[in-house]
Amino acid sequence: MSKKKILLVEDEENESLLYKEELEKEGFEVISSSNGADAVEKIANEECDLVILDLQMPQMDGIETLGKILTKKRDMPIIIYTAYPQYKNQFLTWAADAYLTKSSDLGPLKRKVKTILGEK
Amino acid sequence: MNPRDITTFILAGGKGERLHPLTKDRTKPAVPFGGIYRMIDFPLSNAINSGLRKIYIFTQYKSLSLHRHIREGWNIFSRELGEFIDLVPAQKRIGEDWYQGTADSVFQNINILEDEKPKLILLLSGDQVYKMDYRRMIDFHLANKSDFTISVFEVPLSEAHRFGVLRVENDRVVEFREKPSEPSPDPRNPEVCLISMGIYVANLDILIKKVVEDAKKTNSSHDFGKDIIPSMIGSGNVFAFRFIDENKKETKYWHDIGTIDAYWEANMDLVNVDPLLNLYDREWPIRTFQEQYPPAKTVFSGEERKASVTDSMISGGCIISGGRVSHSVLSTNVRVNSYAEITDSIVFENVNIGRHSKINKAIIDKKVTVPSNTEIGYNLEADRKRFYVSDKGIVVIPKNYKW
Repeated sequence: MSKKKILLVEDEENESLLYKEELEKEGFEVISSSNGADAVEKIANEECDLVILDLQMPQMDGIETLGKILTKKRDMPIIIYTAYPQYKNQFLTWAADAYLTKSSDLGPLKRKVKTILGEK
Repeated sequence: MNPRDITTFILAGGKGERLHPLTKDRTKPAVPFGGIYRMIDFPLSNAINSGLRKIYIFTQYKSLSLHRHIREGWNIFSRELGEFIDLVPAQKRIGEDWYQGTADSVFQNINILEDEKPKLILLLSGDQVYKMDYRRMIDFHLANKSDFTISVFEVPLSEAHRFGVLRVENDRVVEFREKPSEPSPDPRNPEVCLISMGIYVANLDILIKKVVEDAKKTNSSHDFGKDIIPSMIGSGNVFAFRFIDENKKETKYWHDIGTIDAYWEANMDLVNVDPLLNLYDREWPIRTFQEQYPPAKTVFSGEERKASVTDSMISGGCIISGGRVSHSVLSTNVRVNSYAEITDSIVFENVNIGRHSKINKAIIDKKVTVPSNTEIGYNLEADRKRFYVSDKGIVVIPKNYKW
């Protein structure tokens, strides 16, 4: 069975590398985007199974990116992974399959990824 | 509930294709009605009469005429007091698509709900003719602690197959079927069915949850009637509110005018001695925008060259100059010249009917000059070659038609 592919959208380089490494250890293929516009393009051109999306990014932020991803691939599973819980009151974030607050423990993120991809 | 906590969305993006050619140049909510009104004047007047002052109108197709009408006629609120009627054209705020359906139009304007954070949202259709106090529905919604309330209208069992039919138990909706072959009757009266009027009251969180959920579906048409409501039945706390008519007649009046024939009949009702739709009730006024014209006038009273008007509504600026008008509705600034005859017809603004012309069972759209000695509605075979003729034989002359 081929590896499930995750698109990781994260502007902070070190965080991006860490998450990529950790998710690859779990057996996933990870492609990275450092900004919204690139993520939208990757979604349009590459097959992937799940998006992990940071919200605070320069230029196109995560919420705008989320909307654009939705209209390209409506049923794309999306996990919002952000340091800020307060964006929940931006209603477009409700379209994500999960909204996780960043922590040093990557356990909850990995579990959520597995749950969503397991369901798929 | 304080009306400031309620935001009204009027969904006015529909194409209204079945009303073509009246919708050739305008969206259905902008179609004229009753001489001086546009269809959208009805939900708007209802909202104002219900004390609602935060109104958004979502527009999409052929919206110029509608925008103009709202701008010219409905700029009546004080934004300083937080009151407004805002036109919201499709903006592609979220993606690259226009509104895919009524639910999508709410989804694409989700930012409005973020900004307003209303407790309740009233969702209306922009193209229905009726008189309703939405406060009664809102009170019902609150009293039942409903999540989502659908206003329902009773129709005879035999007609229900054309509509979205609800089955209710103690006002709670337990089933919803679009155009069912065997519609479920109303438990209170087996002769009738309860159909959705496309008028909804929703709690904020439920509405967001449902439109967002729907936006993620690839097999959805993103429509409240077709997608959102069926998905709520069973799991949701959905109630049916039985329409209370402010028209105060024996028969309840609610018209979702879907065809040229229905349009013609609804206008013809107005010229009856006692019309079903009462436009004269000052307790529930229907307002509109009108250009200022002098009062309607008739001239010539000779034996043969004689102006005559019977059983008709004649708007301002019309001059019946030696012609005859019977059982017809004339919008503003229509000229009926000598020896011309208009019967059973609807004539829009800025139309000139030439001498000796005879018009029968026709709808003449704006800015048409009918040449002298023209006959419309007497030989449908001939009319069909030039014009749209409805099932019931109503001839429609489109806007700006040139002979």
